[in-house]
Amino acid sequence: MNKDIKKIYEVDASQLKGSALDVVSPTNTEEVRRIITQTKNIVIRGAGTGLAGGCVPQHGSDVVLDMSKMDKISELDKERRTIEIEAGVILDDLQDYLSDFNLEFPVKPSSHAVVTIGGMIATDAVGNRAIKYRKTSDWIKWIEIIDSFGKVEKRGITELSDYSGMEGISGVIMRACLKLSPLKKRTATLLEVDNLDDVTSVVRKLKKNSAVSMIEFFDKEISKELGFDEHYHLIVEYEDDSGELKDKEYKKLLALRDKIYPFVADKGYTRIEDPKIMLDRFVKLMSWLESKNIPTFGHIGVGILHPCFNHEQEKYISEMMKLVKRLSGQISGEHGVGILKKEFVEMNDKKILINVKKRTDPLNKFNVGKVI
Amino acid sequence: MEKHKISEADRIEASNLMEEASDILDSCIKCGMCKSLCPVFKTLKEERVSARGKAIILSDKIMNKVVFECTLCKGCEQKCPLGIKVCDAIRKAREAMVLKGKGLKSNEEMIDNIRKTGNPFGKNIGNDPEKLYCC
Ligand SMILES: Cc1cc2nc3c(=O)[nH]c(=O)nc-3n(C[C@H](O)[C@H](O)[C@H](O)COP(=O)(O)OP(=O)(O)OC[C@H]3O[C@@H](n4cnc5c(N)ncnc54)[C@H](O)[C@@H]3O)c2cc1C
Ligand code: SF4
Ligand code: SF4
Repeated sequence: MNKDIKKIYEVDASQLKGSALDVVSPTNTEEVRRIITQTKNIVIRGAGTGLAGGCVPQHGSDVVLDMSKMDKISELDKERRTIEIEAGVILDDLQDYLSDFNLEFPVKPSSHAVVTIGGMIATDAVGNRAIKYRKTSDWIKWIEIIDSFGKVEKRGITELSDYSGMEGISGVIMRACLKLSPLKKRTATLLEVDNLDDVTSVVRKLKKNSAVSMIEFFDKEISKELGFDEHYHLIVEYEDDSGELKDKEYKKLLALRDKIYPFVADKGYTRIEDPKIMLDRFVKLMSWLESKNIPTFGHIGVGILHPCFNHEQEKYISEMMKLVKRLSGQISGEHGVGILKKEFVEMNDKKILINVKKRTDPLNKFNVGKVI
Repeated sequence: MEKHKISEADRIEASNLMEEASDILDSCIKCGMCKSLCPVFKTLKEERVSARGKAIILSDKIMNKVVFECTLCKGCEQKCPLGIKVCDAIRKAREAMVLKGKGLKSNEEMIDNIRKTGNPFGKNIGNDPEKLYCC
């Protein structure tokens, strides 16, 4: 590939820049098999919306395997509510297709308009409706993978954890059979909350309501940037008519939610993190973030926060990670480790990851230098 | 087609235009949301044709023919959370490339045909070469 065009595939939404030997865009399994058997180091790329640099080639010897053209949707089983699709299918294209059958894939990251199913499985993407639908791996029946020898194999639920959330270090996810859910009519309410303790108690109460499918939080700073009053805000989505905002108004609010990260990134807060903590520790973490003026939003319903750091504030990231660990939280709730968070992975977790890597990718071919 | 000599004025203008295109795209945060409405990306499924792809090479002031693979439909602008004027940048880059003699041969042929015959295909369907005839 022309060296100028190659640059395009050396970056992702994390804005990290790398360098690749070449880029290949296969259209079928046979081509992927051939590429794998003939290539030493492969970095797998979906839509490149990852925020941890997972698909950024680091070594000049990496070949980027772009999965975008593996985009066939096939075998919808309406009765069992399952569908077989290729890894490069874009989530919203799938939703468009499913809406004709009154079905949907219920996991919804804010990048839903462009994200690929392969990328979602590899990062075990979470998203706005996690409070009700958890994460991507909960909606997978089986996946088809290709290993470092070019062997095509099916992996069922029991072996899924070797691939989902492993960020491509164990092999290429080619196809998947997804479980589906009936399409819902949804409404939403925007709540204004005065202080962090109240946020916790409101969220705790809302979580008991089975019609609630999303609770999204944004802090005072982000509220101000979005044109709201300088208070804390919660977007609460309902799978019935209880929300105040319906139809167009509902869609407008959700579209605004999807734009938050790019919006704060434009203000210089380009490094977005995704710690996960229990609700009763939320105030402690938030108070620390506020003391450092770090704008924060997130999927509060499941405890995932998105503090956004500018260059000047990046020095606080390791301090925040220490605090998250002290609060018994996780350093990454949804974006994965990629390149950016490698240094924060605990020794014990690293050992487990290394074992999976050795077992699934004995030729050390896929995404070398990522995660571990 | 005969290669024309590029004047100093055109060279300077081209470099200014590339600078301007790069400035417009400077704030791109590489989120990739612009792909969602891009008809060229949707058809080819190649990141290089997306607005993000064009932003990456144009912010480095690289002249590449990929800027011509765009319908200027502004789908990307509608989806870009930062409202980046991608089409303005693409237009400037195209202009710069034409000034530097790096435009598309097919475009030059088309313009030549219009001048000679009044239609882009070079067919003599009208009798007034000053008029543009519909195909
Ligand atoms: C504006 C914005 C909002 C976001 N919101 C959310 C959110 O709400 N929730 C959330 O979880 N994430 C979110 N993200 C992060 C990102 O969208 C997710 O991590 C997503 O799952 C990445 O998918 P992708 O197709 O872009 O994969 P990429 O970024 O291309 O790759 C991500 C990782 O998966 C691997 N990979 C990709 N495809 C395959 C495959 N077929 N086989 C094996 N490995 C593969 C790559 O090697 C890499 O390690 C957001 C990102 C942006 C820019
Ligand atoms: S203007 Fe060009 S880059 Fe933007 S969406 Fe339309 S075709 Fe794609
Ligand atoms: S949507 Fe806008 S900011 Fe995001 S990659 Fe496209 S042009 Fe850049």
